[in-house]
Amino acid sequence: MKDLYEDTFQSVEDIQQQFELHNYICSRQIATCTYIAYNLQKPVMVEGPAGVGKTELAKTTAEILGVPLVRLQCYEGLDESKALYEWKYGKQLLYTQLLKDKLSEVLDGATGLRESMAKLESHDDLFFSEGFLEPRPLYQALREEHGCVLLIDEIDKSDHEFEAFLLEILSEFQVSIPELGTLGAKIKPLVFLTSNNTREMSDALKRRCLHLHIDFPDEKLERRIINKRVPKLSETLRGEVVSFVQQVRELDIKKAPSISETIDWAKTLLLLHTEHLENQVVKETLNVILKFEEDIDAVNEQLTQFIKKAQLKKR
Amino acid sequence: MQQTLEDFFKVVRSAGVNVSIADSIETCKTVELVGYSDRGILKDALALSLAKTQDEKEKLYECFDQFFSFDAFQKTALIDDEKASAEKPSTESQPVEEKMTAEQAMAEYSGDLELAKMLLRKDKAELAQSMKKAAREVGITDIWLFTQKGINTQKIMNEMGLRELNQEIALLGRGDCPAERALAGALRTAQKYLFQEVRNFVEQQLAMFGKTASQKIHEDFLKSSRLSNIEKHDFQVMIKIVRKMAKRLSSIHSKKRKRKDRGKLDFRKTLRSNVAYDGVMFNIFWKSKVVDKPRILALCDISPSVSSYSRFLLLFLYSLSDVLDRIDTSVFTNSLIDVNDIFEEYPVQKAVDKIVNELGMGGSDYGNTLLDLKNDYMDKIDNKTTVIILGDARNNNLAPQTEVMKLLYQRAKRVIWLTPEMESFWGTGDSEMLKYKPYCSIVKECNTINHLEQMVDTILKVSAQAA
Repeated sequence: MKDLYEDTFQSVEDIQQQFELHNYICSRQIATCTYIAYNLQKPVMVEGPAGVGKTELAKTTAEILGVPLVRLQCYEGLDESKALYEWKYGKQLLYTQLLKDKLSEVLDGATGLRESMAKLESHDDLFFSEGFLEPRPLYQALREEHGCVLLIDEIDKSDHEFEAFLLEILSEFQVSIPELGTLGAKIKPLVFLTSNNTREMSDALKRRCLHLHIDFPDEKLERRIINKRVPKLSETLRGEVVSFVQQVRELDIKKAPSISETIDWAKTLLLLHTEHLENQVVKETLNVILKFEEDIDAVNEQLTQFIKKAQLKKR
Repeated sequence: MQQTLEDFFKVVRSAGVNVSIADSIETCKTVELVGYSDRGILKDALALSLAKTQDEKEKLYECFDQFFSFDAFQKTALIDDEKASAEKPSTESQPVEEKMTAEQAMAEYSGDLELAKMLLRKDKAELAQSMKKAAREVGITDIWLFTQKGINTQKIMNEMGLRELNQEIALLGRGDCPAERALAGALRTAQKYLFQEVRNFVEQQLAMFGKTASQKIHEDFLKSSRLSNIEKHDFQVMIKIVRKMAKRLSSIHSKKRKRKDRGKLDFRKTLRSNVAYDGVMFNIFWKSKVVDKPRILALCDISPSVSSYSRFLLLFLYSLSDVLDRIDTSVFTNSLIDVNDIFEEYPVQKAVDKIVNELGMGGSDYGNTLLDLKNDYMDKIDNKTTVIILGDARNNNLAPQTEVMKLLYQRAKRVIWLTPEMESFWGTGDSEMLKYKPYCSIVKECNTINHLEQMVDTILKVSAQAA
């Protein structure tokens, strides 16, 4: 297995090509960002609406580099013991019970409390060694032999405390475990943090990261993405689907459909052997791209018009 | 190129993007990596490492286009030969030699002044470069007021060698040789164009570097001027200032909601969760105390004399909604009107406008208002409520009803009276301020946005300490 930084990305174009080989079409901005992050070993904060490929970016990067992807899903209440490490309490207890009998051997010949203590202390702190450590994602990422891609997903869902805790890891790539001391990364992981912007992240965290904003793609890019992801879809239908979704996005609705939803819809239409967008089919499958009743109603009102436009455009 | 990057950071900063020293170091590394060869990639790279929000990104793109545009000397007809000579009316009695071409002029010119040579060669690129170099020498990036335009233009011109050029022109013009005289004429025209160009350039720089400076002066002025004197067209700016202040305050005070991991041990909870470990306490729980968010009842006088103060108080309070538990608002001139529903229905700004414009008329009657308060609101007020009254306490010589104030003072957590008047005016004329004052926890003069900020800060602080 090769190391993370062994086989460098040569240039921005190189990245774009490699990503395309792995079915991820990225804009120049995304490629530039990956290029900088990789070469300067800086974390990337990826923002943007849900379903535009933020998580996918990290996955694909790991795939291309041939290193494992370590994922940490953030949520309210996430703390050190869930993210970094925890002692295996059960194992510790079990061992103390099992080794009770051995204690007399250890203390062999010691008289008095002071002497026993001294004897005990001369032994290593076995119960607080790596064997009793339960590694969690962050710890795992730092200790990975060949480096890895670390994905900290939906960082905006975590608490302020956790955000502050991340600072040490993101700038120094090391963690302090009181019982063991400071542990550094074997090879610095490539870090992606994703955020849906439900809350503003602190300046300190932002400062340490490259800031990448991924938005909905334009029509051309989206067509290329669909082509990669759902290659069996006919070219005409692909054009219609993308054009239709693009029109829906311009409406003032609760949740605009993102790329992942377009892909799902394309797959659905393929499954239904659809050749052209028609009122009936679209109406029945609209729930694939729209997740709110109000949104579906809003689109239904202009359905015919949208389909007509979509069919005109692809020509 | 280092210098150029630093100048660019300066521009970005003045556009309102925060660029720290650390940021700029990181960015330099980034730029070193991607290089200058591809404009698009450079632009993306700068945006990735400097801008931290989508908004900042847009600002940065704008700055980039402005800063890295090389249009100096490109637009003007510095020396569009045919045009320049065509415009010259023959009545100016210039000799025909005036129309000589660049090569001719170059050949004629025997002096060794670099600027003159450049002008005669009509080398736009070189002129632009020399101008930029001169600009850097005189520190154009420090320009921040429009009054500095003239002096900066002059300085740049001098740095480029204006004085020497003038001497040269004078020298050439004095001679008898017609070719030399023509040369002098050509140089004089070129000098005028040069002046125009430099001035344009300085104006551009001012637009880039001076943006925040003048904004900041304006904002500082607004913060400390009386709220009643603020012009309508500045309201938008004021709203921005209020939002900024509110954001700052809420970020200071929002973090003290809970005290965790210190104080008293929560014995029951600890035992319960450690049953699994045979009662050995691995997980320890502390009694946490939730800090109460203050509950606020705001009573605002909206008679014409104080309405502008009420407007900003309300704007302030409602921008702080995440650190306040609940805000009840009533307004009055001569009787109390509940306006919570208006705030629920409309966005804050619109609601405030609506209230002030539709309900604010007539002279104020504090006595009657207090009676209304007694009848309809007393049950809403408990020992967690902070009551804020904003008004000048000018009661038009009606009954003051101080006993209601006393009752209010006894019930509420705190009663804060904000008055736009200075202390020396309290109690003069029809002001009842001195009668109300004993029944208030705090009475404060409050007539600028800075006062407002201090006051809100105190409210939040006290409630955090009390817990």
